[in-house]
Amino acid sequence: MTLVAGSALWQASLTTVFLNALARAGEALVVMSGHEVAVEPARVRMCSVSEVVADTGSPDAVVAGVYVGITGSLHGHALLLLSPDGARRFAGLMLDGILEPADALAGPDGDLILSPLQTSALQELGNVTITACLNELGTYFEEPVHPTVPQGMVEMAGAILDAVLMDLVTDVDQVLSAQTRFHIGGQAIDGTILILPDAPSLARLAEAVASHGR
Amino acid sequence: MTLTVADGVALSPTTTLSVAGIGELVSSRDPSGTLVCYGLGSCVAVSAWDPRTHAAALAHFMLPTGSGGGPPVKFVDQGFERFLDAFRKLGGSPMRAEVKAVGGASMLTVMAGSLDIGRRNVQAVEAHLAMSGLRLAASDLGGSVGRTVQLAVGSGRLLIKSVAGTRTL
Repeated sequence: MTLVAGSALWQASLTTVFLNALARAGEALVVMSGHEVAVEPARVRMCSVSEVVADTGSPDAVVAGVYVGITGSLHGHALLLLSPDGARRFAGLMLDGILEPADALAGPDGDLILSPLQTSALQELGNVTITACLNELGTYFEEPVHPTVPQGMVEMAGAILDAVLMDLVTDVDQVLSAQTRFHIGGQAIDGTILILPDAPSLARLAEAVASHGR
Repeated sequence: MTLTVADGVALSPTTTLSVAGIGELVSSRDPSGTLVCYGLGSCVAVSAWDPRTHAAALAHFMLPTGSGGGPPVKFVDQGFERFLDAFRKLGGSPMRAEVKAVGGASMLTVMAGSLDIGRRNVQAVEAHLAMSGLRLAASDLGGSVGRTVQLAVGSGRLLIKSVAGTRTL
């Protein structure tokens, strides 16, 4: 069976991959945060970069992002995008017990700057969720898929994406997007995970997923 | 919080927006018009505004060099002359123009060492300006922040917005 990257069957297979990955991520987040964590089923699709940007509101919509590079059996980039407010609430829950909640959530409404501790918590959130996805993708290959050190930032969505796409633009115009919602400690926080393999990796992934289903 | 062009202090409610997406070029002589590039990261926006004719053009360059198709100013080496041609067609004189450049940031430190596209974009723009005998009247290049730029066609005022705030060139 040939599984074409981007086809309905391929997306269905990848949806399963992401569901498994996010379940793993949820388990890890329970341990990290000490709170009850649930991750809603992801909406997985191949889409254009402009569609991803539209999901964030506009290219200059400010988002909290975590970048992780992908090496090993796959090459490319991965991003977790949240609203700054969602990131701050997430960080507050993860830092609960380390800092007083009021300190963890410090910052006026609409403040776009995260403290170093909040940024660190955001990076850890990105690290856990993205690595869970990469580990799940890695089960389709003989060699593992490795993440780089995460980098957290609060920036314009378009600026984050254009920095990542520079590396891919000559051969990739579609990205793999998984939109999901985290429920942590009674709070719902929307997030988007983007996996952006380069063109050879995307073809290799489609082949690996197809082989797995044979 | 969402930064939108409507937040721009230079804009009137009746302004006409023309948006240059990645690799695209916009131009205008409508005095109520505003030319916009949203969310520049490593990309570089170059603007030209003629104080005599009020012709204006704005290009959103993505990469320093390249081959193949795609939008008109995706690559600086292929697109710079197209940018100047579009400006001339509206009656703009590049030699008389106020030329400004914004962007070329290094957003991702993890990637910066291997790619450094922002710096290479800036170098490519500077090289093509020099080849064309042009000088930058003002610039906001490099760093590690994303930027949105708005060029007011009527005044030539260039507004730059980032997470840190807003400034005018």
